[in-house]
Amino acid sequence: MKTIVTTLTAALAGLLLAGCGESPNSTNAPEASPSPAPETAAGTAPAATPAAEAASPGTTDESKRLSIFCWSEYIPQSVIDKFAAETGINVSVENYASNEEMLAKLLAGGGNYDIIQPSEYVVGALIKEGLLEPIDLAQIPNIKNVDPKFLNMSFDPGNRFSIPFMAGTVGIVVNTDVVKDEIKGFRDVFQEKYKGQIVVLDDAREIVTWAFFAEGLPINDMSDENLEKVRPLLSQWLPLIKVFDSDSPKTALLNGDVSIGVVWGGEGAILLNEDPKFKWIVPAEGTHLFVDSLAVPKGAKHPNNAMAFMNFILRPDISKEISDAFPYTSVNAAAKQLMSPEQLGNRASFPTDEEMALMQTFEDIGEQGSKVDELVTSLKVQ
Amino acid sequence: MAGLAAAAGAPGGDLSHRRKPALGAWLVLAPLLAWLILFVVIPTIMLVVVSFATRDSLGRVVYDFSFANYERAFQWTWLRVFLQSIWYAFLTTVICVVVGYPVAYFIGRAPPRWRMILLMLVMIPFWTSFLIRTYAWLAILSRDGLLNGLLVASGIFAEPVQFLYTPFAIVLGLVYNFLPFMILPIYTSVEKLDGAMVEAAYDLGAGPVRAFSQVIIPLTRPGIVAGALLVFVPAIAMFAITTLMGGGSNPTIGEVIYRQFTSGRNQPFGAALGSLLLLVFVIALWLTRRQREDPG
Repeated sequence: MKTIVTTLTAALAGLLLAGCGESPNSTNAPEASPSPAPETAAGTAPAATPAAEAASPGTTDESKRLSIFCWSEYIPQSVIDKFAAETGINVSVENYASNEEMLAKLLAGGGNYDIIQPSEYVVGALIKEGLLEPIDLAQIPNIKNVDPKFLNMSFDPGNRFSIPFMAGTVGIVVNTDVVKDEIKGFRDVFQEKYKGQIVVLDDAREIVTWAFFAEGLPINDMSDENLEKVRPLLSQWLPLIKVFDSDSPKTALLNGDVSIGVVWGGEGAILLNEDPKFKWIVPAEGTHLFVDSLAVPKGAKHPNNAMAFMNFILRPDISKEISDAFPYTSVNAAAKQLMSPEQLGNRASFPTDEEMALMQTFEDIGEQGSKVDELVTSLKVQ
Repeated sequence: MAGLAAAAGAPGGDLSHRRKPALGAWLVLAPLLAWLILFVVIPTIMLVVVSFATRDSLGRVVYDFSFANYERAFQWTWLRVFLQSIWYAFLTTVICVVVGYPVAYFIGRAPPRWRMILLMLVMIPFWTSFLIRTYAWLAILSRDGLLNGLLVASGIFAEPVQFLYTPFAIVLGLVYNFLPFMILPIYTSVEKLDGAMVEAAYDLGAGPVRAFSQVIIPLTRPGIVAGALLVFVPAIAMFAITTLMGGGSNPTIGEVIYRQFTSGRNQPFGAALGSLLLLVFVIALWLTRRQREDPG
């Protein structure tokens, strides 16, 4: 009897520990969507021949493999399957939930990834550190489909190292059944009367950026001095917030636990499609425009396959398929022509030109990131 | 191990008697030792080494020596998080003892053929991933969820109550997930409990309360101590349940450490917090060890 109990306890501990190991990944994909498990660990690949490793971009002498490291909930499995079927390339996918998580794994050097999906400010930082392979645009003719306003951006002039995948923004969602007042910007959201009614992204830099916008400070100058300037405002704001969730902030809004959210545009677009009671507002003070890109990390073993994938993903029909699943702001002008009027009319997916004028992209703030995190944590536990 | 070593050495002659058994024992132990060194000793050393390092702007570890991470860890912001996590883990442990003890006692005293069935009933829910079970709690506790629906429909409450995203939800999630770790060790103690001792207590004039507090509890104390350790230690560091159930507005030390390794881009500071947490565990172990050695 005792041995049975010991075995049971051990088994239980094993289960719980196994769950713990998974948790970062699973917490971040709360949709219970089958997050594609890495089908072929890079390590088990028959060690690429030295010749293939040394292959410079331009030759096609590399094995039929591609290892993608991308955001969870961003590239539909159907698109990956199609690419594999059309090219015969064996694709493995791993997911992450934040740029920093991606950076940590990439810099630790264990992944052997061929494609990563960094946001604009991380592309800038990676270029500066010489950690990206240059891209051969001749192999990506479909770049002609991209809306020129998303090309040649300040973080990568001439798109020498990255191509845009999808853009998006951060905005306010209001449940109009509960909130009757007009909400125009961040200062209208963070009011005493909405205490316990608010969900925001669990992202320290985003939260601090909203306060920077509200105070009219330059959002990429997160100096100690500027952080001190927004501290009083943030110490009023943070106690009002009920839920911090970057992965699926829509859940708390749909469940009725909160009635105002500051969320990603793609999440907002899904809420607008779900129920007309939700309203989308682009904050009057300004907000973050993010451009998620595809890039090839230094030393990737299959750069040509990576560029074939980039070209594939910029095909209008494929790009539309991605937008159907994850309604962020498409950067693909040709794909937009295939979309339905409803899709194009969703303001959380496609802001107007006036709204776009209010938006700014992030630049890398390096070591200040830790200070930003500390500021938000200290105010959360105040 | 002594018996095994003797058995292994038995066929050998007198000359090899002292050497061979040791070799056999080491061979048997080797996988375990390799496992411990690879996955416990080396990672712990790495953690402590990194905790004295610094990092560059991309978050890469730079190996120079500094106490700065520890100085920072003792600032009030992080100490508060520590204390709060210890408090949640303490509450969880106490509730687990109070809820788990009667269950374990009942199972341990049940007729033998029932015991396995009852134990399985405790275990079966835990064959599902704890994340899925935690998401189920979200559906039960949310404002438009099952529990509020029942309470409002039956007229007990006029308005839905906010259960989710509160400290109550955090502790509930922890208790729910760690309860079996309390029940199983107490059960083993209760099962070994000699019924004659309890009867003797009654014969000598003790009432039920006295028999319980002065005979049954002391005899099952090893189970309670083991259970408390199995619940308290992982409950401090748990971050998935606390983030989901608490909504992230009451960060626990597990969440804060996780964040240092990801969005904070500050692995050395995360390692320093982790090393301090390790120290808390060592202290907890030491205290329970003293408990066991000193039954008075």
